[in-house]
Amino acid sequence: MQLNQRFGLTMIIATLLVMVATVYILFDYQRDSRAELARAQGLDLVRLLSGMSWDELVPRQGSKGLLEILKRGQSNPDFAYGAVVDIDGEVAAEVTRSGVIVPPGDTIDEPTSWLGQRVLTAGIAEHQHYFIESYAPLFEAGVHRGFVRLGYFQPELSLSQYEMPFLATLMLPIFLLVPLFYFMLRREIKPLKQISERFENLAEQVGFNQVELQPSQALSDFMEQFGSYIEATQTRIEVLNREHEDLTMSSKLLTYKNNRVDAILQNFPDAILVIDEAGEVSYANGKIERLLGVEPQAILGKKTREWCDDPQIIPLLTFGDVKSSMQANQDTVQIRLEDHSEKSVQFNVYPLFVPNDETCILGRLVVIRDVSESHLMRQRQTEFISHISHELKTPLNVLSMYSESLLSEGADNEEYRVEAVNVIHDEVERLSTLINNLLAINQYELGGVVAQRKHVRMREFLEDAFKNITQARDDKGLEFDLDIPREMSMVYLDKELFRIAVNNLLTNAIKYNKPGGKVGLSASENEDSIEIVVTDEGYGITESDIKQIFNKFFRSTDDNIRKQTGHGLGLSLAKQIVQMHHGDLTCTSEPGKGSRFVIRLEKVSSQIMDAAS
Amino acid sequence: MKKILIADDEPHVLRVLKLSLEKEGYAVDVCANGKEALTRLEQEHPDILITDIQMPHMTGEELCLHIQQHMPNRNFLIFVLTSRTEIEHREWTRDIPNLLFLEKPVSIRNLVEKLDGYFAGTTDSWRVS
Repeated sequence: MQLNQRFGLTMIIATLLVMVATVYILFDYQRDSRAELARAQGLDLVRLLSGMSWDELVPRQGSKGLLEILKRGQSNPDFAYGAVVDIDGEVAAEVTRSGVIVPPGDTIDEPTSWLGQRVLTAGIAEHQHYFIESYAPLFEAGVHRGFVRLGYFQPELSLSQYEMPFLATLMLPIFLLVPLFYFMLRREIKPLKQISERFENLAEQVGFNQVELQPSQALSDFMEQFGSYIEATQTRIEVLNREHEDLTMSSKLLTYKNNRVDAILQNFPDAILVIDEAGEVSYANGKIERLLGVEPQAILGKKTREWCDDPQIIPLLTFGDVKSSMQANQDTVQIRLEDHSEKSVQFNVYPLFVPNDETCILGRLVVIRDVSESHLMRQRQTEFISHISHELKTPLNVLSMYSESLLSEGADNEEYRVEAVNVIHDEVERLSTLINNLLAINQYELGGVVAQRKHVRMREFLEDAFKNITQARDDKGLEFDLDIPREMSMVYLDKELFRIAVNNLLTNAIKYNKPGGKVGLSASENEDSIEIVVTDEGYGITESDIKQIFNKFFRSTDDNIRKQTGHGLGLSLAKQIVQMHHGDLTCTSEPGKGSRFVIRLEKVSSQIMDAAS
Repeated sequence: MKKILIADDEPHVLRVLKLSLEKEGYAVDVCANGKEALTRLEQEHPDILITDIQMPHMTGEELCLHIQQHMPNRNFLIFVLTSRTEIEHREWTRDIPNLLFLEKPVSIRNLVEKLDGYFAGTTDSWRVS
């Protein structure tokens, strides 16, 4: 059924109900009025009659009494009866409407109850009548003689044919008002309905399920609308919730990004400082502590002079003139930290421009890098080149001088000529060895050397190397001690390369020995390995130096060591060669007493590992 | 006879220089390092000092700086034998007058010409005060 039809039907039913209710209320009111009238009239009349004499009320036989006049003159349709009774209740005179019997009333003894009203019943079953009776005492010569009783029908709800036109007249406007009211209501509802439809459309768009409603059309519409509204609200809440979640997510993402940027800056290998336009530190990562010895939190918001007292650094981090600092700047300073370690620190200052405007500076980014290592490396390389050029040019110088002097001197001095030729030969040898060493080092660096291995008799090899070295360099009165077992296994190695390693160790043992000291070369072997040990009684190596002696270009700062020419290549080269043979070269030393270098070679694995590689 | 003191840790260099310069008529004294050179300078007052740079105990650089500091009124010329040609390796001599570099390999003839010119007073371009 359509919404409107249901609504119309409801209106009709409601109208009928209203009509029934109206009729009921009307009749009820009418009944009450009639009953009230009966009471009032009855009481008035009995009072009136009570003042009359017995005889006036009880006529003699054949004559009409006052009661008869009363009956005839009575206009009230509800009048039922009038009676005069004596003290015992016996009826002395009566008038009744047709079909009515005067109901027997109880006798009234108490004088206070002589005047009153009561409801009496008469008749049986469906013909029973209710009467509103008013009664009053009658006196004759001051003596109570009896009562006068007037009865009226107690009014009932009834429809009399006389009232039909009235009712019809009443009902008609009501009945006519209903359609009018209906149409007016429809007109009023229309906009609400449109809203409902809109809600419906909205609901369809959003796509949620409608609640099926069975009640009355208007209520159903309202409920649908309300439901739609609620659902739309829910949708809105969901949207808001989603937005909230998105926001939370974005916030988390932002925090994450922020953290990530911070993590990047914190883990950056260099110290980073951001100094704003006011010259105050606005960011510093953790590396600053290691490089400059200040805590990042402690310098935030401070000007350079407030946290730094190094006269070299202050000018690097103070920016007075804006124009002068528009360009990136680089400077390296040597700083001494609290633990007395010295560092080479490079300051790179970059201006932070406002995006898209290179004339405006937000501040400066300062990247501080520890360049101690590269600084040291550069220093060593410079030193190395210095040594190399000295080492190269010294024999060249000798060659040049001798050859030049041969021209003038050698012609007539045979002895000098022999000497010159020998010196020239030695110096050429020396040059050649140095150049070979340099080439070897260079080749190792490039990885171009392949060991040419053969089975070598270790005893013969070591004896040979030892002899060559000791014969050539015996100028300090050193004592040489060779201790090699008579029988030693054959070892699989590159003889030429290994000779360089052993030579370098022995050369050092001689070079850095004390006058009269001992140089020892010993070897031992067990089932798995061979150990070659070179010892000296020289200056020894300090604990800090021992960590670095195998580094290329390293030269000790010890004066005694410095006195000797060297290029910081020998030990580095020796270690590389031993490692190429899958062995290891280690050193122990006691400053002032001497050093002990140990080459350890695995007997079996050497060959296997070589094949594997 | 003009006296020349030579300091070098390379005995061959000392030998050839001594031989060649004596032949040219100079009195030549030799020593193996800076420390020895200082002693000889005080004892013998040479007219010329020829020194190498890299020497044990006291380098040529230390020797020259020491002379500059402790012998302000010296009246001898210094020749420094060097393997390096770069200017930054000569920075340390900036405040030392009467000092000349001889690049290795040294030509004896060239050295003799310079010495002769110096003593004859014909070479003005030297930083001689």
